[in-house]
Amino acid sequence: MQSFVLGRVLQAAFIIFFIAVSVFLILRLSAGDPARIRAPVFARPDVIEQYRKDFGTDRPVIAQLGSFFAGVAKGDLGNSFRFQEPVIDLIARALPKTLLLAATALAISLTLAIVLGSMAALRPNSFWGWLSSALAAFGQAAPVFWFGVVLVLIFSITLKWFPSGGFSGPLSLVLPAIAVSLSILPTQLRVLRAAMEATLRQDFIRTAHAFGLRERRIVFVYALRNACLPLITVTGVDIGYLLGGVIVAEVVFNFPGIGELALVALNARDYPLIQGITIVTATTFVLVNLLIDLLYGWIDPRIRLEQP
Amino acid sequence: MTTVTAIAMQAPRPAPHRAWRAALNPPIVIGAAILGLAILSAVLAPVIAPYGPTTIDLSAVRKPPSFAHFFGTDGVGRDVFSRVLYGGRVSLTVAGIGMIGSLAFGTAMGLLGAFGNRFVEVAVSRLIDIQLAFPYVLLAIAVTSAVRPSIPVLILLMVLAGWAGAARVVRGIALQERGKDYVKAAAVLGVPKMRVALKHVLPTIIPSLIVLAAMQMAAMIVFEATLSFLGMGVQPPTPSWGGIMLDGKNYITSAWWMTALPGVALVLTSLALVLIGDGLQRRFNAKGVR
Repeated sequence: MQSFVLGRVLQAAFIIFFIAVSVFLILRLSAGDPARIRAPVFARPDVIEQYRKDFGTDRPVIAQLGSFFAGVAKGDLGNSFRFQEPVIDLIARALPKTLLLAATALAISLTLAIVLGSMAALRPNSFWGWLSSALAAFGQAAPVFWFGVVLVLIFSITLKWFPSGGFSGPLSLVLPAIAVSLSILPTQLRVLRAAMEATLRQDFIRTAHAFGLRERRIVFVYALRNACLPLITVTGVDIGYLLGGVIVAEVVFNFPGIGELALVALNARDYPLIQGITIVTATTFVLVNLLIDLLYGWIDPRIRLEQP
Repeated sequence: MTTVTAIAMQAPRPAPHRAWRAALNPPIVIGAAILGLAILSAVLAPVIAPYGPTTIDLSAVRKPPSFAHFFGTDGVGRDVFSRVLYGGRVSLTVAGIGMIGSLAFGTAMGLLGAFGNRFVEVAVSRLIDIQLAFPYVLLAIAVTSAVRPSIPVLILLMVLAGWAGAARVVRGIALQERGKDYVKAAAVLGVPKMRVALKHVLPTIIPSLIVLAAMQMAAMIVFEATLSFLGMGVQPPTPSWGGIMLDGKNYITSAWWMTALPGVALVLTSLALVLIGDGLQRRFNAKGVR
């Protein structure tokens, strides 16, 4: 178990390092000049040069890379060009909101996947079977931003039930979370439904029936525990996709999270901010994946025992 | 449907019409009909469209849907319906190229991941992990902050965002095939690994690739729209589905049709592709093909 955890942690560290270096190099080698964007349009050359000095972009790329990693080692991601504030502070303000949105969306989609998927596996030709097929297809076909706009039109502008954007309490989480959850629901729903169908055909389920246990208990307690494993795996793989959806939803709903910050950083060619966001997001992703790997062993003791 | 397929498979020489019927199930038929309509209306846009896609009419700004303008008009009086028809040409072409590119690259990587040497195998599977780890929108932000957004860049992003999913599926199947006797036999006969992969294993993957193609095309249509909506995809004045919706973004409160209706066209098209993919998958499953 220990060597397994250590191996996964090393792998995770390598992936984060790889992403950090590639983003750094892509930005330095081909992006526009942040000094020109920051300076007034008709700024004198020496003013622009001063900005370059301030930003440190006048030095060779290798030197910039070196000082960047020296900073990261100390937990310093540099100062934002645009906001003139430490990147780490900006991210620390935005990240919790993004994670909250992602977690809410995930909770909604997992609940729907488990309830609808189980019902659909139990009675494929019922209304539930139809509904889960329809939701899976629709979720795959509808872009998050469009579904978000439609939700705003219906529930915010017409019915005035929820705020249309910003962040002012739990109510403003509802619409963006629903929009995001629809995008990750299809895979989860399909996987759980298939796994549940396979589980319900197994001997121990028949035995449980023979013992006279109630169907609801059999499905949602005994079968679900087995059918959950593939669901957890795809949830782990889809975390990157989930974060992508969250970023889009943040832009649509003006939600003050990482995604909105990233778009501002993009328009300002704010290298340190883009780098910081990328690294923090990738790290979050890798950590969540690690957590899921460990969770796997916790849910299914068979896997834990097989680990050397 | 399964019974029809079973009958078709049992009969020594199935009657042609029965084999034809077996190839169809309701999702495929409905999906193909909608997709056909979408492609046709994009191809025939110059004939069908009541107005030019960039014709500005300042006397008809932000008019709600009516018989004169099915989808209403936008902020400078352009007919949204005509723009959606022309936008379909751009969106479908770009998504199609992106789908083919990501599938081709993904298949190549997937086969390499199963039939390369030890180092290549590990490198490919790590690369797939990294790619899947990276939120696609963040990748797009990083790339478009480096180079100006354009259609070729958009296609490159599609390939980058889509190849890993395809590679994972192909690699999974190829790894299963690798353990089978015919592959071992070929190895014993001294057939080069890559030849086995391309000549013998690749054909077994084709059914999955067809399903994947339909799903990937739907995903690419959504991807194009999302990036264009964020201003990182197709640039104005070229109409694309995402771009048209971006034009309407600032008028959501006053002119809902500018974003909602082009979205309906887009969702119907990608829904058709998902239905086709689902239907094919169901049919392959019923026939015992993967």
